Amino acid sequence: MSGSKAKSEKSSTPTVAYSEIAVRNNATVVEYCRTSMAALSGCTAGLLGLTGLHGAAFYIFTVFVLWFMINLKAGSQFNKFFMSRKALLTNGFFGQLFTYILCWTFLYGMVHVY
Amino acid sequence: MSISVMTDLVVDPNIRGWVFLPIIVITFLVGIFRHYVSILLSSQKKVEIQQLQDSQIILRSRILRENAKYIPRSSFNMRRQFFNNQETGYLTQKREHTAPTMMTDPNMMTDMLKGNITNVIPMFIIGGWINWMFSGFITTKVPFPLTLRFKPMLQRGIELSHLDASWVSSASWYFLNVFGLRSIYALVLGENNAADQSKQMQDQMSGAAMAMPPDPKVAFKAEWEALEIVDHQWILQDIDNSLVDQ
Amino acid sequence: MEDLSWSEARDLFRTWRETNARKSNEVLYHWHLSLNINLNKLGNEKFLIVEQVCIAAFDCYQLDVANECIKLLSSEFPQSLRVKKYKAMRYEAQEDYVKALEILDSIIKADKSNSAPKKRKIAILKAQGRYVEAIRELTDYLKTFMADAEAWQELSELYIGEQDFAKAAFCVEELILHNPHNHLLHQRYADIKYTQGGFDNMELARSYYCQALKLNPTNIRALYGLYLTCTSIATSQKASAQKKKDAIKMSEWALTKLKGSYKEKGFETDLESRMSAMAIN
Repeated sequence: MSGSKAKSEKSSTPTVAYSEIAVRNNATVVEYCRTSMAALSGCTAGLLGLTGLHGAAFYIFTVFVLWFMINLKAGSQFNKFFMSRKALLTNGFFGQLFTYILCWTFLYGMVHVY
Repeated sequence: MSISVMTDLVVDPNIRGWVFLPIIVITFLVGIFRHYVSILLSSQKKVEIQQLQDSQIILRSRILRENAKYIPRSSFNMRRQFFNNQETGYLTQKREHTAPTMMTDPNMMTDMLKGNITNVIPMFIIGGWINWMFSGFITTKVPFPLTLRFKPMLQRGIELSHLDASWVSSASWYFLNVFGLRSIYALVLGENNAADQSKQMQDQMSGAAMAMPPDPKVAFKAEWEALEIVDHQWILQDIDNSLVDQ
Repeated sequence: MEDLSWSEARDLFRTWRETNARKSNEVLYHWHLSLNINLNKLGNEKFLIVEQVCIAAFDCYQLDVANECIKLLSSEFPQSLRVKKYKAMRYEAQEDYVKALEILDSIIKADKSNSAPKKRKIAILKAQGRYVEAIRELTDYLKTFMADAEAWQELSELYIGEQDFAKAAFCVEELILHNPHNHLLHQRYADIKYTQGGFDNMELARSYYCQALKLNPTNIRALYGLYLTCTSIATSQKASAQKKKDAIKMSEWALTKLKGSYKEKGFETDLESRMSAMAIN
């Protein structure tokens, strides 16, 4: 899913230097994935007619799915691309929630309200 | 008031075709339009050489603070002296107030005008027009229950005290779109697009960190303070031993 | 050079642009072979590529290609200062410096905060061999554009050419501040300090060679440098006994490392005798 490219300069000591440009690039790519995922899952939830807590649960579910997919893509070289797994999961959680709600409301309205 | 009555509220399907959809399409297209108009209107900003120098000096001093540990102490002190010396330091120099004001700088006025044309005016005109054109409709229902507190937010233009809070009025649907489409623009137009007006407003408020503030004294003072308290630790002090021990 | 398809060539050009690779011969080769046929298919990238080819053409002195590029650019952007700079560079390539300077001055007059023409003027001074003036201009430039690492690098090289090592060291310090994870900069700094000589500078040089090695353990030049500085410290009169002992230990360490890396490559050499020939006293 993510076509992330990065170099991380690794020194032989415990201190690892990250290339700032690569880190920023990765963050942009992940942000892009997140937005797409939020929009897509919002549309899905709307089409399925999920309401209330089901919809919220579905959002959390998709966030985890995306996280899992990025992990799968990065694989064993995870530390080469990202700094922490947890930040990857939690960053932008609420920011993308808005996109999700908009798509959800939109398709729910289109399909189920009228 | 029972919930079953609320769910049985029937909305005319014509509203979907003539209110609900048009609002989202209009908001989206206006955003795209705004993006291209602002590209068209944007003028290469002429930077005063003094401003450029000021921003570069701040940049250099920041780098010095961050990476001071890689250069010997004497080199660091030499640089700090250059920046912070009481009489001759760059950051402590006295300079008369030369901030260009609105009246003296016509460039600034045109920039302001262009900013208004692409930001504020569409916001007012489109918002007002939508309010007038599509006023008073119930457009949709959010698929989750909400408390009564959300009523003024979601049901602008409809004064029905018994209506369930999940129903959304047309005006509120417009504002939901304005803020919710933000990340969609990022998806469609790429990062840093001009369609995102809410972000631009933030930029205006949080102080243009990119361009130098009109009065560099404040920035210089902050930088001077930060540089003054740097405690220089040369990290190469013991490097030979750590290298051989490896 | 292998022949690439049109889109491959485009992608290759893009990576070269991004990494600042100056492969002028290759650029011109692919340009003639494939890219210039379907120029309009490139869209917005077209003019970036034309610029790239233009610079490559200057490098290889193919002025007809350069002229063609400049014509393309100036027909699209007649008022652009950036295109004007290329016109100046064409005169520069022909060593017609008077005309080049004329154009550059007019650019600077139009836009005082434009750094590119100022850099070109310094480049012209350097090309004419007027190094002292180039240094003066460059220091003047750096008074305004203080965060320009490229310029600091150029200045350090000019100072080294003039054998003003203390000032060159200052410039390299500035570069290290900008990019502290580049082992070559640490190595360069140590080189300068070693050349300057003296006990304190030797110790500094040793530390920076160590830092270079820490960042990149395969840096052979840094290993050599480390060995040389350590032997110099060990024979110095100023060093205390403890320091001498450490230095000897360190030089032995560097020597074994060097021997190891030569062995890996399959060379057997008498390193010690060569080293003693290299050392300065």
